[in-house]
Amino acid sequence: MTDMVTTAKPVRTRRRIPTRTPHQAVHHASVAGRRGGPLASLTWALPALLFVGVLLVYPFFRSVYGSFFEDNGFTSRFTGLDNYTRLAEDPVFGRSLLNTVMWVAGTLLLPVVAGLAIAVATFRMRLGWLAQLVIVLPYAISGAATAVLWKFMLTSDGAVNEVLRAIGLDGLATSWLLEWPQNTISMIIASTWQAAGLNVVLFTIGLRAIPREITEAAELDGATGWRMFRHITLPQLRAMTVVVVGMAIVNSLKAFDMIWILTQGGPSRSSETLALTMYRETFRLFHVGYGSAIALVLSVIVVASSWVYLRRQMPEATGSQ
Amino acid sequence: MSGRHTTLHPCIDRRTLFLAAGAGALATACGTAAGQPPGKVAVHGDNPAWAVPLTAAGKAMRSVAGIRLVPEVIPSLDSFEQIVKSSLRTNKTPDMLKYWSGYRLQDLARTGGIVDLTDHWESAAGKGWVDTSLRNAFTYQGRVYGLPMNLAYWVFFYNPEVFTANGLRKPGTWEDFLAACERLKSAGITPLHGTADGRWPSFIWFQEILSRQDPQFYEDLMNGRERYTDPRTERAMRTIASFFDKDWFTPMDMNHNDAAAGVVHGKIGMVPCGTWLGSTLVAAGGRPGKNLDAFVLPMQNTKARPSMIFESSALVCTVKGPDRTEAYKAAGAWMNPKVMQAFSHSLQDGCPNPQVPPASVMIDGIVRKARDDKLWMLNRFWEQGPPELVEATVDDLAGFLLNPSSYRTVLHTMQDRADEAWKVWREAEQA
Repeated sequence: MTDMVTTAKPVRTRRRIPTRTPHQAVHHASVAGRRGGPLASLTWALPALLFVGVLLVYPFFRSVYGSFFEDNGFTSRFTGLDNYTRLAEDPVFGRSLLNTVMWVAGTLLLPVVAGLAIAVATFRMRLGWLAQLVIVLPYAISGAATAVLWKFMLTSDGAVNEVLRAIGLDGLATSWLLEWPQNTISMIIASTWQAAGLNVVLFTIGLRAIPREITEAAELDGATGWRMFRHITLPQLRAMTVVVVGMAIVNSLKAFDMIWILTQGGPSRSSETLALTMYRETFRLFHVGYGSAIALVLSVIVVASSWVYLRRQMPEATGSQ
Repeated sequence: MSGRHTTLHPCIDRRTLFLAAGAGALATACGTAAGQPPGKVAVHGDNPAWAVPLTAAGKAMRSVAGIRLVPEVIPSLDSFEQIVKSSLRTNKTPDMLKYWSGYRLQDLARTGGIVDLTDHWESAAGKGWVDTSLRNAFTYQGRVYGLPMNLAYWVFFYNPEVFTANGLRKPGTWEDFLAACERLKSAGITPLHGTADGRWPSFIWFQEILSRQDPQFYEDLMNGRERYTDPRTERAMRTIASFFDKDWFTPMDMNHNDAAAGVVHGKIGMVPCGTWLGSTLVAAGGRPGKNLDAFVLPMQNTKARPSMIFESSALVCTVKGPDRTEAYKAAGAWMNPKVMQAFSHSLQDGCPNPQVPPASVMIDGIVRKARDDKLWMLNRFWEQGPPELVEATVDDLAGFLLNPSSYRTVLHTMQDRADEAWKVWREAEQA
């Protein structure tokens, strides 16, 4: 190589093309059979398959099986579809389903929109990074600590009502956590306070990834403000929006810690979501079969909503397959 | 109770907390599967505040029976129940448990996973070491399956200094009680604490009022012999609703810690609770005999037998625990006055062994009242009736507390639940 570099005229070396004799091919095939064939790869995938099988697939099918039984943890009796019939008739389940829908809608509306708005507003602002940092900070607090903090604020004699009374808005002071639907709405707002920070970070990353030429070209064409946002920024953020909304859907469906600490699903089970109802039925009331049925309904909703959403948002990915 | 205590006793001092955490961590490290070394038996419970009293009882037990108790705390009611119920049929189950009395204990006993302690009970009763009126709360099909650990009396805590400043005395009659509420309200003090915070406290006012109007009906209703839709239940609900009409209650989301501070600082007149709240009141600045005292709610119906609600945890031995022989021996020494005194004085609560002197002046006053007036001791709502019925009806009662005019609907819902739950319970009994 050194000679090649120092010679005035480049010497063209003949590139050696690897060839295989039939004998070598047979030899390599046998090696492949040992290390790289379809069956051999199974060895490498086995630990992962084992984990997924033991921790995910088996519990899922065990829950499906268990949902056909009346089981109190000690004795069980086959009851067919009775648990599902009970679900349809149970007003608590109906309220839980409604609360879950509220959580999904609220989490899609508030943290995603707020995250996007804050990210766009602070993106090129002077000291915008500082504003973003302040907004992101709650995300660093654990869900349980956040819930304790909001409980201090939302009780009848809590900080929110104290402030309202102090500024003469006594009429707005209310029992935030005691009545439906304001208890669920209050908790969605508390959750927004925490979740919006991460969305701000994700949308800011998305904004940084937008090529400057595109925005400059749009500016030359006279696009500013809302038109710029609507026709340039938002479409460019689509990939990130898919991620943020997808995460929001899943997070809202598994909301638990905030609700458990603030209201324990009460009062009178008015603020339970499906996750809480499943927990209470299974682990407090020891209606294991009924809890399994709720778990299955929740799983179907999570998988179906995620699948529908991702399929709609990423048609090209599914098309290429 | 216990799990209830977990949420109601965060005001324990730092040293207690460290000791409890240390004991819990050590006990967890030791594990349950292999059991304890010879001479030690683990007692599993859900209340960190009980770790120190159990350690004190363990020391006393060592001098009496040569066995030391080691507290193991699972500081979550849900986790504790899950561990107990899921492990009871295995040999990984805890040796001894702090459990609930009443129907919750019966629920556990009928699994066949806990030891019959009738011999220990009868031995203690023969020596006068146990209040025999409590036996029913620890019995399943005529056999005793748990020994009483504490004896908490359900009383109304108040601040004597505030009462004196408003010309009031400790209420001796129902009329005195109503007059005190009126007077406190007019003085700008919220007379009564009521709450649905944490779910379970929703039953407090129901049990207190119903047992003061018709204790026999309370006992029958709790045991499935009467109906929630009965006019006597409606009357109790209307009485509570009338207190709401007079605006005597605190907001229904005020927890017991804040209420305790409210009593000590003269913002709240009276807090109904078990005597175990005493330590929280003391931690909030209460000084028994000065700015802190308690009274038993007088009977509204003076023709009925005078009664009071009690609460008592059960010490239970498991059939398959790794140290079951030593655990059984330890249970035999539990009611010994030395052990009981160490435990109840450390806990600062009532004691089921009548030979043990009361832990404080306040407890002494209540014990005297119960003895002198021959009060009928009724078990708490939480321990009465099939557990799944109680779990559901506390939510119904929470609904009533938030909308008192809905009492008829609430009572119908409760009765529907009771019909189903008692049917299941009795079918299981027959099976």
